[in-house]
Amino acid sequence: MEKYMITFRSVTYAQRGEAVLRSAGFRCALGRTPRWMEEQGCGYALRLTCPEIAPVQQLLRREKLSWRRIYEQKEDGTMEVLEL
Amino acid sequence: MIYLDNGATSFHKPPQVRRAVLNAMTSCANPGRGGYAAARKADRMLFATRQTAAGLFGCQPEQVVLTNNCTHGLNIAIRSLIKPGMKVAVSGFEHNSVVRPLYALGAEVIVFGKKLFDQQDTLYRFAKALDKGAQAAVFTHVSNVFGYILPVEEIAALCVRRGIPFILDAAQSAGSLDVNLEKLGAKFIAMPGHKGLLGPQGTGLLLCADGGEPLLQGGTGTASLEKTMPQELPERLEAGTMNVPGYAGLNAGMEYVRRTGIENLFCREHRQCMACAEGLKRLGMQVFSGPHQAATVSFVPKMDCVDAAQILARQGIAVRAGLHCAPLAHESAGTLQTGTVRVSFGHDASPEQTAAFLKRAAKLVR
Repeated sequence: MEKYMITFRSVTYAQRGEAVLRSAGFRCALGRTPRWMEEQGCGYALRLTCPEIAPVQQLLRREKLSWRRIYEQKEDGTMEVLEL
Repeated sequence: MIYLDNGATSFHKPPQVRRAVLNAMTSCANPGRGGYAAARKADRMLFATRQTAAGLFGCQPEQVVLTNNCTHGLNIAIRSLIKPGMKVAVSGFEHNSVVRPLYALGAEVIVFGKKLFDQQDTLYRFAKALDKGAQAAVFTHVSNVFGYILPVEEIAALCVRRGIPFILDAAQSAGSLDVNLEKLGAKFIAMPGHKGLLGPQGTGLLLCADGGEPLLQGGTGTASLEKTMPQELPERLEAGTMNVPGYAGLNAGMEYVRRTGIENLFCREHRQCMACAEGLKRLGMQVFSGPHQAATVSFVPKMDCVDAAQILARQGIAVRAGLHCAPLAHESAGTLQTGTVRVSFGHDASPEQTAAFLKRAAKLVR
């Protein structure tokens, strides 16, 4: 299982993303985006743990929920932006 | 008090609305401004309100902008869609919340359809307005003075066919008639939260098809370093601290409407409105009633309408008299000089309410 963080510019998009992912069986939690991740200021992020990120992306695209970036947690605990 | 001024605001709110307001006041902080529990609860409350509205009105939660009232939403919508000098078709039954923003913008207003309760004529006149070069349309779903239900599905279909963007004013229909953003193809639909949706005053909704121009600029809790408002809805159109207790109450009101059923509410209100109209006619009043009427009926008493409403008020009847902020509607109906007394029913309409009103109204003609 991998740990990911999906950042959003809009709290409402993040909230709908949370609802959509949860209803599809993904476990996720909504919170503020860490300051270092968001160069434009405050934002919201979904943290989730899942085997791979591709189905999550597909689901969000299908629901027309645009996100800002997706980060993956490395073994040393640091978060790294995924080049997708 | 027998409250029959639901066209202005619903007054006897379901108890769950009051509970929701109180609960939010005691448990919700500022949404979008913190990660602690009380701020997150406020976030969830606003999202729940958007979700409930989206379910009722055929759109996604992010297309639901929370406003202060219907006028606020109409101003955003009109400022977003209409440019100075544009030709705009409006019905002959518009409220000043449509007319004044259009005149303030310098739009060229083309009025269509002045015949009460005649949907065919309204539709025909609307097509004529388009032939005169109307580039956009703003129209009400239900006249706030006379309760006339305009043929909005047909008008909307005509707009879509001709590529005319339009704004629907659902001030008197949200909560008692079907209002659906996707089905109608509107650019914007504005509605109050405190009338048929049974929320507190100071709440409203603006449904947006795709974007809009902010009326206010300020903090949104997101993208703080940007000098301009974010592009994303709904934050783009919501600057400053939100009325969380109000929207919590609105959510409870909308849930009540959803559970009761919009059709059931319409039937209950409409039945009493028609009974009231018949009773007033029997008393010899000039009554404005016909097919395609919602839950509002206007009449001209045999005395000044303000005096008549005052006499009724002294007997515990709450109705509204005057021009109802809609001089255009009175011009269309020929009541600009007299005004009318308006009786408007709500979710608690009952035969007892109607009978009590008619009993006191009878004293106006003695």
